[in-house]
Amino acid sequence: MVRALKKHQPPVIFPRFQGVKMRVVREHIAAYLFLFPAAALLFVFNVFPVLFSLFVSLHEWSIFPEIYNGLENYEKALGDFAFVLFFWLAFGLFWLSYRIFRNFLRSAQSWPDRFHSLLPASLFSLATTSLCYWFLLSLPLVVDSPRRLPPGRHSAAVFIHEFLHSFRFPEVVRAGNIALILTFIAIAANLYWWRKRYRQVSRHFGQAVLFLWTFAAALWLIWMTYHELVAAVGRATSRLPIWGALLTMAQTFAELRLPLPATPPIYELPIWSQLIFISAGAMLVFAAYRLWQRAHRSLDDRAFYGQILAAILFLLGGYLLIVRMPVALQEADDDLLRGFGITAMFSLGTVPVQLSVGLVLAYLLFQNIRGKEFFRLVYFLPYIMPFAATAVVFKVLFGQAQNSTLNNLMKFLGLGAQKWLQEPTGIFQLLFGSGVPEILAGPSLALVVIMIYTSWTYIGFDTVVFLAGLGNIPSELYEAARIDGASGWRIFRHITLPLLSPTTFFLSLIAIIGTFQAFTQLWIMRTPASSRAVDTASIYMFETIRNTRPQYGYGAAMAFVLFIIILLLTLAQNQLAGRRVFYG
Amino acid sequence: MSAATKRLEAITPAIPQVVREQRPRTPLPVGRILIYLVLTFGTLLSVGPFLWMLSTSFMTQSEASLGRLLPQEMQWQNYPDALANGNFIGGPQYAIEFHPLADELNVHLQDMAQEPVFRGSRWLSGFDFRGYVWNSIRITGISVIGTLLFCIPAAYAFARMNFLGRNVLFGVMLSTMMIPGIVTLVPNLLTVTWLSRLGEAVCGDVCRWTNNWPALTVPFFATAFTIFLLRQFFAQIPTELWDAAQIDGSGHLRFMLRVVIPLSRAPIMTVILLSFIGSWNALQWPLLVTQDARWRPVALGLTTFVDSGAPGDFHLQMAASVMMIVPILVMYFIAQKQFTEGIAQTGLKG
Repeated sequence: MVRALKKHQPPVIFPRFQGVKMRVVREHIAAYLFLFPAAALLFVFNVFPVLFSLFVSLHEWSIFPEIYNGLENYEKALGDFAFVLFFWLAFGLFWLSYRIFRNFLRSAQSWPDRFHSLLPASLFSLATTSLCYWFLLSLPLVVDSPRRLPPGRHSAAVFIHEFLHSFRFPEVVRAGNIALILTFIAIAANLYWWRKRYRQVSRHFGQAVLFLWTFAAALWLIWMTYHELVAAVGRATSRLPIWGALLTMAQTFAELRLPLPATPPIYELPIWSQLIFISAGAMLVFAAYRLWQRAHRSLDDRAFYGQILAAILFLLGGYLLIVRMPVALQEADDDLLRGFGITAMFSLGTVPVQLSVGLVLAYLLFQNIRGKEFFRLVYFLPYIMPFAATAVVFKVLFGQAQNSTLNNLMKFLGLGAQKWLQEPTGIFQLLFGSGVPEILAGPSLALVVIMIYTSWTYIGFDTVVFLAGLGNIPSELYEAARIDGASGWRIFRHITLPLLSPTTFFLSLIAIIGTFQAFTQLWIMRTPASSRAVDTASIYMFETIRNTRPQYGYGAAMAFVLFIIILLLTLAQNQLAGRRVFYG
Repeated sequence: MSAATKRLEAITPAIPQVVREQRPRTPLPVGRILIYLVLTFGTLLSVGPFLWMLSTSFMTQSEASLGRLLPQEMQWQNYPDALANGNFIGGPQYAIEFHPLADELNVHLQDMAQEPVFRGSRWLSGFDFRGYVWNSIRITGISVIGTLLFCIPAAYAFARMNFLGRNVLFGVMLSTMMIPGIVTLVPNLLTVTWLSRLGEAVCGDVCRWTNNWPALTVPFFATAFTIFLLRQFFAQIPTELWDAAQIDGSGHLRFMLRVVIPLSRAPIMTVILLSFIGSWNALQWPLLVTQDARWRPVALGLTTFVDSGAPGDFHLQMAASVMMIVPILVMYFIAQKQFTEGIAQTGLKG
């Protein structure tokens, strides 16, 4: 019967994949096809740029890559602090790799497990590193290929020929060959291991690879920083044995290559920057003290030495920050430092205001209010509207003319007309007369207007998110508190606020990162008269790459510094909030 | 909508959603009045600038510069005037700023100006606000369609397909959300410039990226947040539907197109809204990758209007702002309707 049925089946012209295994393969192919377009775009425009940005920042790069100049862009931006920054970056990476390695050791308890994942993983990461090296060698050549073209209109063939030619430079070919061989070895070894000991390998493979990558990155970073430092100091000590090199490095760090200048500096550094650095240094010293205290209480030997080492490093860092920082920053870009100060003021002036007003509005809306939907819709409007349009509205509202709407209002209130967005003077100087010293002048009136605008746009967003957060607090808690006789304020303080802390944390993080990247409103509302008092670091960075002579290397370096600051702020907030935020 | 989809929706169980909790008890009436006062004051503050903008956009020039609050007579002519407000970037001021491709662009523009189609037309000599609005419509349309085309399959793959490295890839994708946009600015500009050269060499001016639509839209086709949003919704669609579809002989593509997409109209509307707002509001990136008005979006047009237009034309500037706001406003209210409809259709509320 079965045979008879089979006979009547039509002949298979296109043999399709059949069976369970084939179905899995087909599903894989389909999934990768579905994923490919988005993944490719995300890689090219989101992942790759982070590394490319670092790469660009290490070069002089106006239109085409010019020359590798190491940390010179960072030195230009931050003075000698650049070395400290990169040293700490490398240190952070070492610490990260140590953390990953510790996790790896913990999860892979037995030796065969470790061996079976560490060996293929090291081959794998070696191959990827060599591929990266080959890519980095060919990258500037590829980017440079349009410049190598003969002048005049170009055909596709010429361009593609020149493009392919980038990969035929001898050093690129050599690196490519090595990468190819290593990749083949890695693939073969991995296939072998995966067939033999599939379970053991797959469980810890990722961790091992991640550890090796971070470790290699940290090694490269410290090597590069050391090299740059030596070059900067002008001592050609590249052939020193390793201990000598470390000693030199420690010495140079202690000296920071800057003997105190015999002549007084040409310009005074803004006081606030010194303040910030000195307080940062003090905080580091304090952290060292706390670590020292904890180390005495720890029972584990390894933890004890680790904490003591960290405490010493913190102490060293704090010392460097306090004593050397104003000196180290003397060669920094003055405009950039001022930009950082304005960014800090912008953050401090907007984030607390918008969060507290948003919380109050959300709390009021959360009472049984008629027309809650309407209020929410209306409050959300400023956030949803195009920033460009509303910023223009505020620019006109806060016009400098005697008859502008805000000045009419001021006159109605019996106050003097202001220049608003054209006013670079600090508000405290405006309020209390010009006797107020420059340090305490505060944000300029123009910046205050921009702060008002920024808060106005974000309050609605905060309200809506807070409202959602309030809705997630179980009502039993309120009832229990009422039964216990708690008053409104105590309920708010001891139930609402703690249970709302994840929302608050999320919103403050978003808001601070937002202020560091704020662009549209600043770009539209800045005027030539007040631009020096309004330009944040991000605007200054944008100016350098939109200049008549764009300095992409310098711009990338500044963007990278901003990136590090944002990253540090996120980490710090995570640490700080870790104890305060109450998740359910 | 086909009958089959309707039937499918009918058998779809309600997708779980956070149940709205009971609110705390109502406070005292005196307090309530105070609350309403504060809320109304907040409403005035948040809507005030919009109302002021609207009222100023109907004023005469002298009324606007005197800082009046209401116009004596509605000046409807302001809107056509603002739309036709050309010449603020045209004619002799027409200069391409320094850019990697500046020389080639200048040559290209001179060539274009010689062509009879363009000679004397407002597209090159006096570019008015209409042009910017049209540009933004084009850019936004391309962005929205591209976002849907790129993100839906990826989200579907993450939500409903089993493949090697899914979790790792998803984790990497999520971590890209942490990267601040300011870092990618310079490298993306360089990448786009290079791709532009490549495209131009391969297939001429049509394929150039900068100063054309690809540079303005392609980098934003795939965003991690959009994929994440869609994936979260796709993953909630019951597995029984997929089993049934498989029994009926449907593959992943057909299932995605016929079942998943019709069922997830609400998140797709959200994605459309986000993409629309993103490209309609864009200012920083267009400033970098466009050199002339042919593809500059309306935000840039408005900025140019305010900066280099006639200094006292507040009424026209406000009219232009209103026109920039109106599409977003309309879109917001349409989407509100779509959200509720989407909720009703998938049975979220029942």
